[in-house]
Amino acid sequence: MEGMMGNFNKDKMTCSIETWNLSKSFTIIKTYRDLLLHPFRKKEIAALREVNISVKQGEFFALLGPNGAGKTTLIKILSTLILPSSGKAFVGGFDVATHDREVRRKIGYVVSDERSFYWRLTGRQNLTFFSALNNLPAGDAAERIKRLLQLVELERDADRVFKDYSTGMRQKLAIARGLLTDPDIIFMDEPTKALDPLIAHHIRGLVKERVMGERKRSVIYATHNLREAEELCDRMAIISNGAIRYTGTVDALKNEYRQGARYIVKVRHAGNGLLDKIKAIPSIKSLSLHTNGSSHDYIQFEMELETGNGNMSHIINELSKTGGKVASFYEKEPTLEEVFSRVVSREG
Amino acid sequence: MLRAMSKPLIFVWKDFIEEASYKLSFAMQIFGIISSTLIYFFISRLFGGVGVAYLKPYGGNYFSFVLIGVAFFSYLGVSISGISSSIREGQKLGTLEALLVTQTDIPTIIISSSLYSFLWATFKVAVYLFLGVVVFGIDMGQANLAGAFLILLLTITSFTSVGILSASFVMILKKGDPVGWLFTSLSALLGGLYYPISVLPEWLRHVSYLLPVTYALEGMRLALLKGNSLRELLFPNIMVLLIFSCLLMPLSIFIFGHAVRRAKKEGSLTHY
Repeated sequence: MEGMMGNFNKDKMTCSIETWNLSKSFTIIKTYRDLLLHPFRKKEIAALREVNISVKQGEFFALLGPNGAGKTTLIKILSTLILPSSGKAFVGGFDVATHDREVRRKIGYVVSDERSFYWRLTGRQNLTFFSALNNLPAGDAAERIKRLLQLVELERDADRVFKDYSTGMRQKLAIARGLLTDPDIIFMDEPTKALDPLIAHHIRGLVKERVMGERKRSVIYATHNLREAEELCDRMAIISNGAIRYTGTVDALKNEYRQGARYIVKVRHAGNGLLDKIKAIPSIKSLSLHTNGSSHDYIQFEMELETGNGNMSHIINELSKTGGKVASFYEKEPTLEEVFSRVVSREG
Repeated sequence: MLRAMSKPLIFVWKDFIEEASYKLSFAMQIFGIISSTLIYFFISRLFGGVGVAYLKPYGGNYFSFVLIGVAFFSYLGVSISGISSSIREGQKLGTLEALLVTQTDIPTIIISSSLYSFLWATFKVAVYLFLGVVVFGIDMGQANLAGAFLILLLTITSFTSVGILSASFVMILKKGDPVGWLFTSLSALLGGLYYPISVLPEWLRHVSYLLPVTYALEGMRLALLKGNSLRELLFPNIMVLLIFSCLLMPLSIFIFGHAVRRAKKEGSLTHY
């Protein structure tokens, strides 16, 4: 079938979503000055640059990036709302540019914009309306809507008008709408944006346990929230300035972007000048004091070692020579925030 | 087939719930119809027999002439602005994006979005005609209802074509649609809404022949007030409206498809 994926090996057939060198540029609206001086010159801005990602069937894939990185543009291309400038994108095996109808049959789209509902209709009426547009027979739709309202814990508020919903309830309804057709593939564009931390946590739990618990689906979850990506995803892509900077698991990312190893050390009986002595140990790159125990009883500090100088017994020996007693010594995992800023700054 | 039918109906259901939630609006619109009918009635009393020669082909009564003109001109308003304003509203409210990722094609969404406005326009026409006949005694005893219905269908088709054309501009330009503005203004000025086109200077009359509204209003008046037969209505009114429909509908659908593709390329499908 024309428009379906061409040169595809067997392994790749397990992919639900795949992009090949996907790029998108937007024309910038000209100022009156530009219109007068350069009427035929086009000003363009690149929103996506040669993006290559593949999401396997049943995989929860986070698209992590700061605001304006290109996450929404990518999701909109995959949802057939925008055409790419170059490259290809396949969803459920169909080219988004040439087989948009087939793609829309496969996907559910959860937008964070609460304006995408009809505010004077109830939650149930909104879902009924969108289920008809998604070709669900009326009888099946009523049953499906009832089940989805239970799933997102809105069954008691289903017959209240949407305008009276809280932001969290609106987001839950958006999730229910995305699941109306029981799609294999779901795109979620920052579903916890504008939610307070407590509700955001609740929505994440709902996505993890109920949406993914209902059955295995492929999910692309755009977020700028690192915790969210870490909590939910199987794999992630970090996107910045329209380009993919990293693709892989969170653990692999932390290992790959680990710079010098960091350790948290607690030393008892720390006398005066101990820190200066420790700083003088050659393989210690940097040192920062965390706590200073009462009466100079102990100190706790974080130290970063030079890459390649990983001989721990040597370091502990050196520490012991400074006069203190090492009470604890453990490696500190880099946070996702640290890794993220390293990825973005290194490649940017 | 049933499924295809259910989509326009679900739009009508949704729009009715929304409209019904604005309770005062309905009463105000009915009051508007009654007050404008009274205005035309008193104007026709003021001028009495003046201009009877111009009105003779339509029965000689200005009130019945203008009432039918105003009533059926509302279809033009809905056709031109109904479709484009449903797009504009969807862009502004943010609902268009949610509609466009459903399994419903864009033309069905756009046409269905304006269906309620057509039904509302039909209701307004019915109120106008009811007031005219029952309250003010317009004689429609010899009306050719089948002919009027055929003209109405062709009127809606040809006007809708222009509406789709206008929506194409809204899709790209968002605001400032030249087609809708030009067509509505010219139609009101030259289409025989408030006065017969025979009062126009000859050169302007030639321009009015290029507008479908001229034939729609002429045909409707002749069918309802004079009871002209289908054969009498066929030329030029039915024939010209048919030609307009056959030419404009495919052209407007083609241009609309092009506009949607361009908006998708520009990424501005849901911008406003």
